Amino acid sequence: METSLVGKYAIVGIGETEYSRASGRTTRAMGAMAIRRAMDDAGLDSTQVDGMLSYHSGDSTPSTSIMYDLGLKPNFYMDCSGGGSSSEALIGLAMGAIEAGMCDTVAIFRSMNGYSNFRIGGTGARAASGISGMDLMKRPYGLISAVQQFAFNFTKHMATYGVKSEDLAHIKVAHSNHASNNPKAMMKQRVTVQDVMDSRWIIRPVAHLLDCCLETDNATCVIVTSAERAKNLKQTPAHIIGVQGRGTKPGGDFHFQHGNMGRVAGHYVGPRIFDMAGVKHEDIDVTGCYDAFTYTVLLQLESYGWCKPGEGKDYVKSGVINLGGKVPNNTSGGHLCEAYTHGMNMVIENVRQLRGTVDDYCPNAANGEHTYDYSEGGCRQVKDAEVSMNMGWGTPAVGSALIMRK
Amino acid sequence: MANYEYRGQMLSIPDNDSEYRGYFEAAGEHKLVVKKCGACGLLRGEPGPACPWCPSLDWEWVEVSGKGTIYSYQIVAHTVVPALKDLAPFAIVLVELDEQSGKPTEEDGLRIVANLLTDDMKPEKEENVAIGARVEVIFDDEPDGISIPHFKLSGEPPKGETWQHVF
Repeated sequence: METSLVGKYAIVGIGETEYSRASGRTTRAMGAMAIRRAMDDAGLDSTQVDGMLSYHSGDSTPSTSIMYDLGLKPNFYMDCSGGGSSSEALIGLAMGAIEAGMCDTVAIFRSMNGYSNFRIGGTGARAASGISGMDLMKRPYGLISAVQQFAFNFTKHMATYGVKSEDLAHIKVAHSNHASNNPKAMMKQRVTVQDVMDSRWIIRPVAHLLDCCLETDNATCVIVTSAERAKNLKQTPAHIIGVQGRGTKPGGDFHFQHGNMGRVAGHYVGPRIFDMAGVKHEDIDVTGCYDAFTYTVLLQLESYGWCKPGEGKDYVKSGVINLGGKVPNNTSGGHLCEAYTHGMNMVIENVRQLRGTVDDYCPNAANGEHTYDYSEGGCRQVKDAEVSMNMGWGTPAVGSALIMRK
Repeated sequence: MANYEYRGQMLSIPDNDSEYRGYFEAAGEHKLVVKKCGACGLLRGEPGPACPWCPSLDWEWVEVSGKGTIYSYQIVAHTVVPALKDLAPFAIVLVELDEQSGKPTEEDGLRIVANLLTDDMKPEKEENVAIGARVEVIFDDEPDGISIPHFKLSGEPPKGETWQHVF
């Protein structure tokens, strides 16, 4: 595999709007804010961002609007259709665009009124839309929302390996503990396994309400440029040493026709990214998993080889994924507790982790001074974080990954 | 074919729908069909335009027995579809048809999504929904001419162990 790009590019700027359920603004206004904040974070002015990438599910705003708003004049832009796992994939495409000589510095954004306008869980506009094409063999039966689209995979996995709903609840508990130390998080309250089990069922046996992520209004942005340019910018760069974009398992949209139901895209993406980055699991200090639902975390941890198939239920209960554990997962609280951003906030969090400036409740967090006391209302910085990994989920069949080094 | 209302949802099956029109036309005659590859002869559960195995573009519809086994399932306690709220809780099942089970690899099969209903088209009781349970196709006929395939428990003994969630 060609590895000459390892470490040649970096994420140099990050930005987000507040996470809410009532933005009171357009996706255009939020997108402009997130990009502007990422530019300020990086120390880049309007003449220095000459590439734009975005992704959407018909619910965002075009780059061509925001480029006017911010006085940008891109030499390259693309607005891509896509959901989860697009974040990491577009970071790789940004590197490609720069490498191809099309531009120098790329702002990647996602903007969505995911609660107040176009509910990502399907309530409202999505459920009211007409049914045609491949949906004809699913939606007449009431199979529509994301938690349902992947549920067959996890019910089968539960049957194969004896996983219980209670096992999944430990993932929510870990992420909620992390979110309690994140001022930005929408759900800061720590929850217990019993809280998850007592929340109402959405889809049995795979998801209670608290196993599901938080529909959110927000925009997010990361800025990619070369490590060489990064030397003259404000922040410690998060060097990209491995990236894989939307690798698939056989079957694509019809993955349930083929193969092991619990084997998700990470099984195929994992070996490629570890090979590209030249690191092993034990080299990684902090991870981000696309936690649309608690079960997507468990399936990804298994498929990427953090534990063997069927051992995820013990792995997530062992403390390893908690702050203070060996490889903390979703230290911001992720989609389950911080906000649902279609994958961007887990990348942003890992950039902050590598910088050492996670925005927790430590008084001098911005200067990199942390207490490493992970009790409620305290710290969420991972000590000496050098290497991070993101695992992006599109469907059981589609996944991306990103490995960054300080 | 054209537009149909089913359970308060609008289904659009235009004449140029080369994937699904034949499936619903056959359902109208109470036949469950799948596509068969014209080259390698393998069936496919998703009626796409090419064979995922060989991948020939030649195919024909063939009728299957409509018997199968529940491969996986989900119980919808909360639905985002307003017209289905009165139906909940209901089971959506992934049924592996008897034809071509475990071929061409042991993990493959023809898998069809539907609801698990009783003869009167009501949701089957949750305690009767289990992976491994034997099922057979039934058809829900609508007055405007469309018929939607579903499954019901066939009453046959399961071929192996069954599994269901316990809470």
